[in-house]
Amino acid sequence: MQFDFTDDAKDLAAGAREFLTGEYPPSVIREVWESDTGRDPKRWQQLAETGFVGVAIPEDHGGLGMGDVEMSLLLEEAGRANLPEPFLEVAAVAAPTIADYDSEALKAEWLPKIAAGEAIVTIQLGGAPLVADAHVADALLVEVDGALHLTTQFSSTPQVSLDGARRVFTVEATTGPDTLLTDDPAAVARTFDRAATATAAWLNGIGQQVLEMSVAYVGEREQFGRPVGSFQAVKHLLAETVLEVETSRAATWYAAYAVQHDTDDRVEAVSVAKSFASDAERTANTNALQAHGGIGFTWEHDLHLWLKRGKALEGAHGTASWHRERIAALILD
Amino acid sequence: MDLRETPEMQAFREEVSTWLAANVPDLPPLEGPEEFELYRAWERKLYEAGYAAIHWPKAFGGRDADLMTQAVFAEEYARAGGPARINTLGLGLAGPTLMVHGTPEQQAQWLPGILSCDDIWCQGFSEPDAGSDLAAIRTSAVLEDDTYIVNGQKIWTSGGRYADWIFALVRTNTEVPKHKGITYLMIDMSTPGIEVRPINQINNDAGFAEVFFDDVRVPAANVVGGVDNGWQVAMTTLSFERGTGLGSHVRFQKDLDGLVDLVRKVGAQDDPKTRDRIAALHVRNQVFRRNGQRTLTSITNGKPVGPEASLNKLFWSTMERDIFETGMDVMGPLAELAPTADAALDHGTWHKKYWYSRAACIYAGTTQIQKNIIAERVLGLPKEPRLPAGAKK
Repeated sequence: MQFDFTDDAKDLAAGAREFLTGEYPPSVIREVWESDTGRDPKRWQQLAETGFVGVAIPEDHGGLGMGDVEMSLLLEEAGRANLPEPFLEVAAVAAPTIADYDSEALKAEWLPKIAAGEAIVTIQLGGAPLVADAHVADALLVEVDGALHLTTQFSSTPQVSLDGARRVFTVEATTGPDTLLTDDPAAVARTFDRAATATAAWLNGIGQQVLEMSVAYVGEREQFGRPVGSFQAVKHLLAETVLEVETSRAATWYAAYAVQHDTDDRVEAVSVAKSFASDAERTANTNALQAHGGIGFTWEHDLHLWLKRGKALEGAHGTASWHRERIAALILD
Repeated sequence: MDLRETPEMQAFREEVSTWLAANVPDLPPLEGPEEFELYRAWERKLYEAGYAAIHWPKAFGGRDADLMTQAVFAEEYARAGGPARINTLGLGLAGPTLMVHGTPEQQAQWLPGILSCDDIWCQGFSEPDAGSDLAAIRTSAVLEDDTYIVNGQKIWTSGGRYADWIFALVRTNTEVPKHKGITYLMIDMSTPGIEVRPINQINNDAGFAEVFFDDVRVPAANVVGGVDNGWQVAMTTLSFERGTGLGSHVRFQKDLDGLVDLVRKVGAQDDPKTRDRIAALHVRNQVFRRNGQRTLTSITNGKPVGPEASLNKLFWSTMERDIFETGMDVMGPLAELAPTADAALDHGTWHKKYWYSRAACIYAGTTQIQKNIIAERVLGLPKEPRLPAGAKK
């Protein structure tokens, strides 16, 4: 048994951290908040050139041929960096789903373009009311009546996210027999689980980041002649955060393994991961602002950029209580 | 990431579960000396089958089992509902500590008795004024020729009533900072001057004891790891204590299965709030299990267990308490009934376990101490200002 990542995956994640923190400092995130579309095709192109967008795309279609497990480490890095791009939707969900279930012809049409950063496919699964980045998407992977469709025909109405780096829309999709990707219920369910797991990994990244910001702040900020981080009340707050966020990571990694290998306990594993990750991020979010005190409550301080993404994603692809009810049904019904 | 079990491991799992299914006895609760001998007999049976201490090196009579193999054994033991192990302090703490710090003579003197469970061991660390602040111990040991004269008191000594030996921390030097005057001493519990007074626990079980030392004469040869070096040796012992809780997710899963049965028994399976709580506990145990696998892998790949062991302890102790607290809540007004009451659900087992579970957040380092450790050693936050060096109580 090896409950660990390959060196390749770790190297990839280390590379992602370096690239993302270099390219997406808070100043860039703030520009994204202010800009009209929030998206810059050149930046997405650059991200694709690093190989990150094609991580879960097979090598013969221009990707790196890795799986959900490796992707979960990259998603943590994206969460840490507060990446303002549809990376989760395109790279972690749409691309591997097309690779797993689409026809050879459509794979050949879409996957190389996605890997190269030339096509964006966003997602709407499990009746989600909001779709991210519909304004820049070339296609929509959408669940309709228990089937998955890949359609280029959809109209979108912009909504406004509490996270200014996100662009979300309500969408009307046109689907038919010619857009059908798969109507296998197992495939549809697994695709939703893939999105929930990816969201959990992203939330774990946010939790780690706001924890680190908090640790740095309480180590510097002095009151009563000593760093506030030396007070037990503050220490215990952050110890509770690390307890939840750090343990959440292993649960999400297992969920990614369960999705990748479609194990018998996949549904349980995914709901364990997403419910725990949503709650862990909420703890991290709450305690980070508390640890920062008044300064964290200001628009000027960068902390809220992460806090808002966290709030935006806690309920995405199943709230904690929705996932717990899915587990309750497995145990009690 | 590859979670498949090797064929050898599957074979070992099969071997263990088959043996346990054929041999696990149904023992009465451990209430007195008669029952204790039944538990000791079970330990002997494990020893004879080569299962008493599979984690020990072959040279000391173990199987040299790696951590993965130990986890498999622990999981199957829990699954089979094996009796409580009565010599975990000997097999898990005293023995491994002797292997690190003991001389060959000391290892030859004590290890065989631990392994066969002819000698049951207890731990003499805590004192009335030295709990979380363990280095404040005051039980004294004064050298006279080649014998230490020990005076003082230990408390919260699990298994103290039945133990044959105690590994104790004693103060051998009062002229140096408190951590530097402590010695690790092995004491025969039948030595004149030792008095054991059982302490009844909150659930009225006599689980632990106070141990009093009144001019107890202990050979100087029983010092382990050197005079005044006991703090280092104790840290080794505690590092075993705060280990990974191998296989305990299986034990918690059995408790959770019992909780689900209880929910059905009282007809609460459709109550949304109850469903959410049951699911949340199930989630936590699965999270605990995956973190156990992560830690196991990390140790197997050569990384020592560090302060993250405190995360593990904090996680399972609060989960254990919440499992049984939920059980009490599910029983509603019947939760009031004592185990002896006719109408008590599940023969009152929830009661006993509930009260016992509340100890989990106290022993082996309280929740608050674990949080301090996590904050200071995992997150690197500044230490609390201490009393000036050399200040003693």
